[in-house]
Amino acid sequence: MQSKEAPTSMDVEAVPSAPKVEFGSLPMKPKFKPLSAHEMSDGQVQFRKVNVPPHRFSPLKKAWMEIYTPVYEQMKIDIRMNLKARRVELKTRTDTPDISNLQKCADFVHAFMLGFDVIDAIALLRLDELYVESFEIKDVKTLRGEHLSRAIGRLSGKGGKTKFAIENATKTRIVIADSKIHMLGSYKNIRVARDSLCNLILGSPAGKVYSKLRAVSARLAESL
Amino acid sequence: MVMATSIKEPGLEALKRLKSTEAPVWLTPNPSLSQTARAVSEHLFASLKPFTPKSPFEKLLTQGFDAEQIWQQIDLQSHPLMSTLRREVKRFEKNPDEISKLKKAQKVEHKGSEGVKGVVEEESDGLDEGLDGFDEELDEDEEEEEEEKEEEEERESEGEEEGEEGREGGIEDGFLKIKELEGFLEDGEAMEYGLKKKGDGLGKKNKKGKESEDEEEDDDDDELGAFELGDDEDDDQNADKMASYEDFFGSNKKKASKRKSEVNDRSEDLDMGDEQEDSDMGDGQEDSGMGDEQEDSDMGDEQEDNGAFENKKQETLSTHEKELQKLRSQIELMEKEDLKQQDWTMQGEVTAEKRPVNSALEVDLEFDHNVRPAPVITEEVTVALEEIIKERILKGQYDDVQKAPRLPSVAPREIKELDENKSKKGLAEVYEEEYVQQTNLNSAPLSFKDEQKKEASMLFKKLCLKLDALSHFHFAPKPVIEDMSIQANVPALAMEEIAPVAVSDAAMLAPEEVFTGKGDIKEETELTQAERKRRRANKKRKFKAEAAKRTAKKPQDSTSLNHDHGKEE
Repeated sequence: MQSKEAPTSMDVEAVPSAPKVEFGSLPMKPKFKPLSAHEMSDGQVQFRKVNVPPHRFSPLKKAWMEIYTPVYEQMKIDIRMNLKARRVELKTRTDTPDISNLQKCADFVHAFMLGFDVIDAIALLRLDELYVESFEIKDVKTLRGEHLSRAIGRLSGKGGKTKFAIENATKTRIVIADSKIHMLGSYKNIRVARDSLCNLILGSPAGKVYSKLRAVSARLAESL
Repeated sequence: MVMATSIKEPGLEALKRLKSTEAPVWLTPNPSLSQTARAVSEHLFASLKPFTPKSPFEKLLTQGFDAEQIWQQIDLQSHPLMSTLRREVKRFEKNPDEISKLKKAQKVEHKGSEGVKGVVEEESDGLDEGLDGFDEELDEDEEEEEEEKEEEEERESEGEEEGEEGREGGIEDGFLKIKELEGFLEDGEAMEYGLKKKGDGLGKKNKKGKESEDEEEDDDDDELGAFELGDDEDDDQNADKMASYEDFFGSNKKKASKRKSEVNDRSEDLDMGDEQEDSDMGDGQEDSGMGDEQEDSDMGDEQEDNGAFENKKQETLSTHEKELQKLRSQIELMEKEDLKQQDWTMQGEVTAEKRPVNSALEVDLEFDHNVRPAPVITEEVTVALEEIIKERILKGQYDDVQKAPRLPSVAPREIKELDENKSKKGLAEVYEEEYVQQTNLNSAPLSFKDEQKKEASMLFKKLCLKLDALSHFHFAPKPVIEDMSIQANVPALAMEEIAPVAVSDAAMLAPEEVFTGKGDIKEETELTQAERKRRRANKKRKFKAEAAKRTAKKPQDSTSLNHDHGKEE
């Protein structure tokens, strides 16, 4: 609301102190306020749309409020669920402080759709340097049938312990969806996690991966 | 003989009787014969007595004496006689004038020749007859008798000549005449020098002469040489040659024939008699039996006798000669062997090609064994070993290798345990904690198991302490519980102050505790060539691996980007 009037009025008000125009000298530099997100897009609203896969529909329904609250309250982004189209829509408001909020929220929702937990995905909203990386098992090694199943089993481990071990050691979150693997974390940690997962896919036993993890994580911890 | 018969009949009669006895009678001991023999020897001894002024015996004692003793008596008488006779004969050789003087008393010579003949016959008889010792005695006696007679004659003639001169200073007597001695010495010198001039021309005889010269030196009587010189006067070659062995004891080839001819030619029978005497003496001394066998029983034939003598000389050499021959033959043999091609074992360094195949196997080769020979395991050895083992087991002394305890240089770092459970914190909280830890210097990282573990360990130690106190008799003080506290590499200032005013660089951990590398870190200048190569190879390997990863990553990145785009829209 104010945003529309502000520029013009501000522009006018900003220059009263310099009525004299000296001969041969340039006028004073104008000082502007920073643009809001809304103004930046020239008063137009920006949208983001995130598809909801069918297996994530019911978890979305369960965790809707946990998603909605931080997005709307803290990020100041309008969020709504389009049931017909089965997608989540995000829209900037006029009081959105930062243009990147929209993208962050979109990433956040997207991460949830990939399979990450809300509490894990919330980190995306809070920290800038977190990324989501995905790859497929076939990118690493072409496996078919039983081999593929075994590789997936190797990745997870018994009761998921291998996956958790990697997650804890590297401070990342991993989602294994059939033959797709998604990782959430900072860049270095994602790399370590990816290496471990690739080794597991390629066939190395879990113990070996653990020992490597130990060494690497210790190094990572000390490097801080 | 005529003289003898007129003076002493019984002796001559005895002699005749002896002569007449036939050979076989001598073989058996006959007392009558022995009596006659004794009588004969007494007679001969007595006849020779006047020519031996120094003889201790008045007459030959034969009654009750055995052959050896009688022989000794005769020997005592005959030895000086022999030497004087020889001297006289030499003198006669040099001075034929004296012989002519002697010829005046031809009667004596004739007698002498006859006597010689008789002597020869009797000698031959004696030699034939064999083992009886009397033979030798007879021979000797006969020879002595002859010598005595000759000397008597010579002395008579000499006495006629020199009696006028008289004797000087008492040194000279019948035998020793100084003037004669001087003359003899001069002649000897002349001979020597003469020999040396003619030395080149002489042949075989010279060699023999040298050998015999050695023998001559041993002999006391140098006059023996004079006999040979007398013999060789006819031979121009050997006119001045020194006497040699062969001259006396006969060279088998030439001398014998010469002697034969000379003996026959010579008017003087003295030399021949001497020669015969010598040979007989030699033979008689060495081997009477042999002489008996070899000699002819011919009494009247001198030549045959001489032939017999020659045969003897050819076959019987002196011991020295025999030894020399042996040596010579041995030397020849050895020289021949040395010149031959030696056996391969004696050839020094021999390779396999130079010796026959597998020949080294047949020979006992000697070489150093540098390896100690393996010990022979006997029962005793095993028993000893077993005893040692038993002792050790009982003592419990096994000599095990004990690892030296290494002191911990670094504080034991807590090994980070991997949690295999689902983390209860959300990712956001994890990062939040991380951030807080970074910014807020106070907070130390705690692993999830610390609290529980600590609690458990503390409880257990307390329990152990109580149990130990109960079980031990002596007081055991409270053990120092070493807390394994984690030393975080947090700046030291952080631990001390809550609000850090200034940030200090000092860290809690010492550099060596922080250091994680292994072993020596070498600088580039300290590396060896091999190490440098190794480093470079490692670097290359890493680079290649990273390059491979990058190429693998690139398609991955591109695909992921595509995915994002697809999903968003």
